[in-house]
Amino acid sequence: MSVGPLHFMALAAVLFSLGLYGVLSRKSTIMTLMCLELMANAVNINLVAFSHYRTPALMTGQMFAVFSMVVSAAEIGLGLALVLAIYRLRKTVELDAMQELKG
Amino acid sequence: MSGYWLLIPEYLLLAGALVSLFGDLLPGGERSSAILGALAAFAAAAFAGFIGTAEPLFGGMLVFDPVSVFARVSLAALTSVYLLWSGGRGTGSERSHEATALVLLSAVGGMLMCGARDMVALFIAIELSTMPAYVLMGYRRDDDRGLEGTLKYFLLSMTTSLIMLYGFSFLFGITGVTGYAEMDLTGAGVLGVLATVFVFVGLLAKLSAAPFHYWAPDAYAGAPTSSVAFVSTVPKIAGTVAMIRLVEALSPGATQLPLLLSIVAVASMVLGNLAAYPQLDLRRLMAYSGIAHIGYVILAMATNTNTGLAAAVFYMVAYALPSMAVVMIAAEEGSAVEQLSGLVDRRPWTAWALVVFLLSLVGIPPMAGFFGKLYLFTAAFGAGYRALVVLAVLMSVVSAGYYLRIMREAFFGERVSTPAVERSIPATIALVLLVVATLGMGIAASPLLGYLGVSF
Repeated sequence: MSVGPLHFMALAAVLFSLGLYGVLSRKSTIMTLMCLELMANAVNINLVAFSHYRTPALMTGQMFAVFSMVVSAAEIGLGLALVLAIYRLRKTVELDAMQELKG
Repeated sequence: MSGYWLLIPEYLLLAGALVSLFGDLLPGGERSSAILGALAAFAAAAFAGFIGTAEPLFGGMLVFDPVSVFARVSLAALTSVYLLWSGGRGTGSERSHEATALVLLSAVGGMLMCGARDMVALFIAIELSTMPAYVLMGYRRDDDRGLEGTLKYFLLSMTTSLIMLYGFSFLFGITGVTGYAEMDLTGAGVLGVLATVFVFVGLLAKLSAAPFHYWAPDAYAGAPTSSVAFVSTVPKIAGTVAMIRLVEALSPGATQLPLLLSIVAVASMVLGNLAAYPQLDLRRLMAYSGIAHIGYVILAMATNTNTGLAAAVFYMVAYALPSMAVVMIAAEEGSAVEQLSGLVDRRPWTAWALVVFLLSLVGIPPMAGFFGKLYLFTAAFGAGYRALVVLAVLMSVVSAGYYLRIMREAFFGERVSTPAVERSIPATIALVLLVVATLGMGIAASPLLGYLGVSF
């Protein structure tokens, strides 16, 4: 059996769904951030795989994936800083404790 | 001018950001860094207007067409007015020079977003404009509620960013290109629909349109009011332009797009206006009113005609001006609606300026908001969205209710003798400029739309 674009897309879809499920269901902010990372990786797999099969000579997808990695690393850094700031004030990072503002 | 010279406005903003980062070393300290930033942003607006339309840059990644020029100039000008106001306030909050730098960086992202016609460029520009916004929203490290609102904003914004990026990856996979020019979704089937939906979920969440709006009221209510004045207005202009370009690029292949957008438009208009009614906090009220206004803009986008798209950009700017001013006044007077009571006794001029802004938001001539709504509804009506236009007009009537409530509080509210905040000269100039722009944009509406390439 040879590995084709569909296999990569399936892997990315599974990773993305797992990440999205985690973001929506996890109670701890840290776990939520990790699930976001999972989603970002799913996107990168998609991009690199598409680049390999669609435009092997141009490397467009690889470049896009590099940019996306840098940006998601920066975002996670910002997120962790935010979580630390909240932990200093509340001594908890559980999302259930974030109930002071009601939409 | 050509080549890298076209990006002079961005360079100016970047230079302003870097210098104001070291604002505490400048003579005059924190305040002068904001004024310096305001000057840099003003120069950027002037240059963006001077350069005008030009050839695309980087092989079509950035375009400088009339829509992008109009959005770039108004975005930089609004940033300049905001910095002038925040520099003049002199509340002496620590680290305010960092806020100046963040505002300028976010403006750079917004300027690039206005020109972006490539998924990679758009993605980077969006992130550059939202990441400083997170920090601005959670600016007070010791404020529990602010950080909670920021965390909600951050998590939702990042999730939707990634959903959008997932959509981008499929668009790239289907078409093999990242630029909009060659992007053709015709015959892409289910995958094309999925990709389109993903991309628009991300963009709509950034614009706080209805089913994805949950972060906005919470984030605004917790954040420092002065940050809300920037974050709730300026990035949205850029977001609108980015979305318009994607609607243009994707609609030939995605036939269901108008339907999707009209559903979002109806949901935003109805929910935003009705939820704004009972709000007692001005920031929260303005958050819901922003959701409602985005609903009108998306209605115009659903038409996908040149007139509709130009009207959408015009309306967004016409909304951003008075909305920023109202939040600025809230930052000076206190964020609860009842704290405005007796404003006419304390500061009569500010109270009358507030009337101009609120009437513009309702859509009363000759303010900018009226002409914005007029062109927007005309475009949507012409494209056959009659029932939706009727609903939109009804909803603007509803919106008059809560805007007039603010006015009543300012003029006829119980006279409370709260000490007035000392208003400095730059902050006064900023508010005067906003009044002039709100009135002037209404009067100059027809030539401005002519510049955008449409006539009514």
